[in-house]
Amino acid sequence: MKIKLSSIMVENQATALAFYTDILGFKKSKDIPVGEFRWLTVVSPDGYPDVELVLEPNANPAAKTFQEAMFKQGIPLAAFEVEDIEAEAKRLKKSGVKFTTDPKQQGPVKLAIFSDTCGNLIQMYQPPQKRT
Amino acid sequence: MIRPEILSRLCNARDLLRDWENEPISVSAVARASGLTRFHFIRLFKAIFGETPHQYRSRAQIEKAKRLLILTDMSITDVCMEVGFSSLGSFSVLFSRRVGMSPSEFQRRYRSLSLLERQLPASLIPGCLSLMAGISEKGQFSRSQPLDESDSV
Repeated sequence: MKIKLSSIMVENQATALAFYTDILGFKKSKDIPVGEFRWLTVVSPDGYPDVELVLEPNANPAAKTFQEAMFKQGIPLAAFEVEDIEAEAKRLKKSGVKFTTDPKQQGPVKLAIFSDTCGNLIQMYQPPQKRT
Repeated sequence: MIRPEILSRLCNARDLLRDWENEPISVSAVARASGLTRFHFIRLFKAIFGETPHQYRSRAQIEKAKRLLILTDMSITDVCMEVGFSSLGSFSVLFSRRVGMSPSEFQRRYRSLSLLERQLPASLIPGCLSLMAGISEKGQFSRSQPLDESDSV
């Protein structure tokens, strides 16, 4: 058994694809039409390219309620690892991404939180430097 | 950085744009309720939620119309009025552009079954795994392994 797929609910799959590829830098992996929606996944070229993130339509009212409540509470629904959080935050802000938390030290990691324009808050974190 | 109280005001603004009582609320009124200038409100809303307040409101109207068209006995004209359009023509045009079919076609396709069950058909409320199941039913993920393989053994 492997962890291979993870998913995030998105308000609009086309907007989501643009944000997760053009802004965050992921690559589209699968894009298969299924009725009104798409089976849409992205992978991270910097990370583990066989782990896919499903950009899942949030057409289910229960999912939407959950997503909106979490957003309102400021709670991120996914976390992505970065090497240099200050540089990433600067780059994303330049692209118009809005942060709810600027990079800050939180225990052993440095983290920041931003809106993905699809109804979610996303956290990115920089792990502690490995000692060589 | 967006402070928590501004984020919370924007979330409330989103609720106001979607859940109005008698007629759709104007973007200016929502901006005022949020304590932001109209210009600043529109810009911030778009940056956070990916669409302008106006786009969000009209999408919410269409979503509401979809539900009413297939879960109630209301006529298309009544649905059009109920979701806040005054012209059937502009409602139909917007609906067709968003949904890919006219309100009457949508109603024909989904109402009969939904009225019996009083809930939206599964094809309109997919979850991640049900989407995947939909794919394999169509054989797009399983072309190399026919579904009836076991039957032929």
